[in-house]
Amino acid sequence: MGYKVSFEEANKIFAKLQDEYEIWAPKRFVGRGRYSDTDMIKYDKVNTVEEIEYKEKSDFPAKEVLTPITESLFYFTEDEFIESKATKKKLLIFMRPCDIHAQHHQEKIYLSNGDFTDMYYKRMNEKVKIVMMECTTGWDTCFCVSMGTNKSEDYSMAVRFGEGELTLDVKDADFAPYFEGQASADFKPDYVKENELHVEIPEIPNKDVLLKLKSHPMWNEYNKRCISCGACTIACSTCTCFTTTDIVYNENGSVGERKRTSASCQIKGFTDMAGGMSFRNTAGERMRYKVLHKFHDYKARFKDYHMCVGCGRCIDRCPEYISIAATVDKMAKAIDEIVAEEK
Amino acid sequence: MNHDIDIKKVRINCYRQSKVAGEFMLQLRVPGALIDAKHLSMVQEICERWGNGTFHMGTRQTLNIPGIKYEYIDEVNKFIKGYIHDVDIEMCDVDMESNDAGYPTIGARNIISCIGNAHCIKGNINTYKLARKIERLVFPSHYHIKVAVAGCPNDCAKANFNDFGIMGVHKQVYDIDRCIGCGSCVEACEHHATGVLSLNANGKIDKDTCCCVGCGECSLICPTGAWSRGKQLYRVTLGGRTGKQNPRSGKLFLNWVTEDVVLGMFANWQKFSAWALDYKPEYLHGGHLIDRVGYKEFVKHIFEGVEFNPEAKMADDIYWAENEQRGNMHVMPLSQHKFAGPTEERGYSFAKK
Amino acid sequence: MNNIVKPVACKILEVKKESLHEWTFKVETDIKPSHGQFLQLSIPKVGEAPISVSGYGDGWMDFTIRSVGKVTDVIFDKKPGDILFLRGAYGHGWPVEKFQGKHMVVITGGTGLAPVKSMLNMFYDNPDYVKSVTLISGFKNEEGIIFKNDLERWKEKFTTMYTLDRDQKEGWNTGFVTEFVSKVPFKDFGEDYEVVIVGPPPMMKFTGLEAVKCGVKEEKIWVSFERKMSCAVGKCGHCRIDEVYVCLDGPVFNYTQAKYLVD
Repeated sequence: MGYKVSFEEANKIFAKLQDEYEIWAPKRFVGRGRYSDTDMIKYDKVNTVEEIEYKEKSDFPAKEVLTPITESLFYFTEDEFIESKATKKKLLIFMRPCDIHAQHHQEKIYLSNGDFTDMYYKRMNEKVKIVMMECTTGWDTCFCVSMGTNKSEDYSMAVRFGEGELTLDVKDADFAPYFEGQASADFKPDYVKENELHVEIPEIPNKDVLLKLKSHPMWNEYNKRCISCGACTIACSTCTCFTTTDIVYNENGSVGERKRTSASCQIKGFTDMAGGMSFRNTAGERMRYKVLHKFHDYKARFKDYHMCVGCGRCIDRCPEYISIAATVDKMAKAIDEIVAEEK
Repeated sequence: MNHDIDIKKVRINCYRQSKVAGEFMLQLRVPGALIDAKHLSMVQEICERWGNGTFHMGTRQTLNIPGIKYEYIDEVNKFIKGYIHDVDIEMCDVDMESNDAGYPTIGARNIISCIGNAHCIKGNINTYKLARKIERLVFPSHYHIKVAVAGCPNDCAKANFNDFGIMGVHKQVYDIDRCIGCGSCVEACEHHATGVLSLNANGKIDKDTCCCVGCGECSLICPTGAWSRGKQLYRVTLGGRTGKQNPRSGKLFLNWVTEDVVLGMFANWQKFSAWALDYKPEYLHGGHLIDRVGYKEFVKHIFEGVEFNPEAKMADDIYWAENEQRGNMHVMPLSQHKFAGPTEERGYSFAKK
Repeated sequence: MNNIVKPVACKILEVKKESLHEWTFKVETDIKPSHGQFLQLSIPKVGEAPISVSGYGDGWMDFTIRSVGKVTDVIFDKKPGDILFLRGAYGHGWPVEKFQGKHMVVITGGTGLAPVKSMLNMFYDNPDYVKSVTLISGFKNEEGIIFKNDLERWKEKFTTMYTLDRDQKEGWNTGFVTEFVSKVPFKDFGEDYEVVIVGPPPMMKFTGLEAVKCGVKEEKIWVSFERKMSCAVGKCGHCRIDEVYVCLDGPVFNYTQAKYLVD
């Protein structure tokens, strides 16, 4: 069913929804951007429609709602690990189609990789209801069309933000009662049909080409350009890596808290083992590892689609102006070179 | 050549005497060092019509036009009426008359600024906006004062060598839940700033708040936005100067003060100068004036009616390290000493020779 | 809901110092690992780290830890009767069924001996399980030698070549393990053998190349990888190489696959 509601009416609905749901959406934090007098847009709980930043792409992805950067797993004592509690309410999350796709990409890792299901992800995931924010133009760093993530049918509600009013497609029967008495409207969300940015993902024909690609000089460029800050992976809609650390409350370390904290394969130390062993010790190698994961390795494992959803946040957030799209283009050229040499 | 020119009068009008007899260099003020580019063609025209065809970038960021013959000064003053109007009256909201006489005074020197956060990734404040606000408080006034505004404590504007050096800072805010313990901020603070951050055993950041300069290197490098800029504040150094006699770097005077405090302070500058000079304006560098009055007395006047924000810190006293070009030249017979304040308030006198 | 990352408390039965830096902890547990698998050990202040099983039996398990790097002293203060937290066992271990009835060549470098120790003891205890065992074990120096008693004992039933990288020691060779690969009589084994190589990555790489040079078919070579892991269940991403998760698909790999796994 389609509805048209004023912000005022929508806020009343929000208030009712909050008995059962936490409402999460991209929100603007004035002055909290990387540079002074710039803002940060990240996911946060909202109470009103006005708090939702719908005109600009968020700096940070929706994944933060399901997998916060720091998450408590257990509280431990000398002889016991006690699970942390999940939020009681359900989660209503406003997401663009790219972020919706990204959740499914994350699910593959958290819920099924190696036939192990991560309880922490699952318990959050089960609470999620999606409000798809209609996205029709994207921005100049988006390449969702290239990645096939420009469109999604997977939502409970879809919303178009107008001046002072929302137009909604309410698919999920759970939400129908909230809209009783509201003006109906004929509405199906539109989507991005073309991006300014096109990325053609090259095929890596075999393992030997992959091996040669790994040592191709193209990656050396990033030894100089990339500062290994990890901003790209934190901004990434699909990156899932984390490190488990213990915080100890007492001196002998027997009482404390086990946490999961987002980790980045771009930051030095990602592979460090006790005893001093480490891998991928240059920025170029780390870049290669990330790019191949997004545009080869993930698909090679799960057989379905590439990991990257083309949200372009890594491009937006890179303080060194490294574009993943340009990097993929360079990789395609390198593959052509390698294949040509083989023949 | 036979000249009869009142050099001092011309100087106050912002024309500097040239070694070429009868020639002068006009110094156009650019408070905050940022103006519309359209003015550049006007500057070029003056250089080519009345000057010697060259242009000099003033060390205090004035637009300098050398080689103007004395007899053209009136014409040039008429020509720059529009510029002074646009820049000082319109842009800076300075309370002065728009006329054909050129600049009414050279007193308060042009306010220097780095480009600030209008462009610079490291800038913490909009430097030119603040400079423009200060301009209207100190100009036009015959009282000399040198002010510079730097976007951050890196101080590319060399505010530290001005009577008042303003630097933009922020109280940085740390969101522990967004921190991934990557240590980038620790490294950045160590390399670029004061090294007040460290990674603790729990993989989070500890900060030695006492020595943070509020520069924002941590917020700049943080990949997650765990660090971000909080309240926009200012750091002010006092008493810096260059010169043949006793150049010195300024000393930290105010820290974590709001714009209201900074502007409140400048609003008192003319009143303070008048008092210190016993209401008889004379050509004296602002910094020397502060020296004459003494720090404790100076702050009493300069902060009259100013309310400090709760985070604000002010120097209790300042002990400048003089860097005399000639040893002990500040030590001199009492007869050569200069005094501040009304004569009747002077506590002592000395015998005439 | 089943929580795959929840560790269980295990009582320490015995703490044994193997060398200057290696300690073996024997814990009471019903976990039944297979040879070459690993566990996640909870280490206060660190979180969790993968530890290979160096021995197991009815109701007990051994694992050997190196007291260097980020591992805190807390674990080395533990005494018998204290509690440690474990979960696992994880990963694919050695394909022992495949090894059955064959000549076994086991080449280890340093602590790489730990992940094969339980299998070697199984061969020792069941002499009929394999046709023969040739063990080449190398260590950096005398201080680095672990499982001294086992090494001595194995001499009885295995063909052994023990070596120190540069140092001299009575009854031991001097030189890298790679130098001894050619001494293995692969020809005498016909096609009836398998080769196990475990150690630091460069050691495995060069030993593998040396074995291939000696005519060993790649599919007969097995290696075990060691990588940083934070979860051991394919979530944390630290151990991933290409499309492979060492925790899920390894740590034991056949050389035909391993040779492509460049980090």
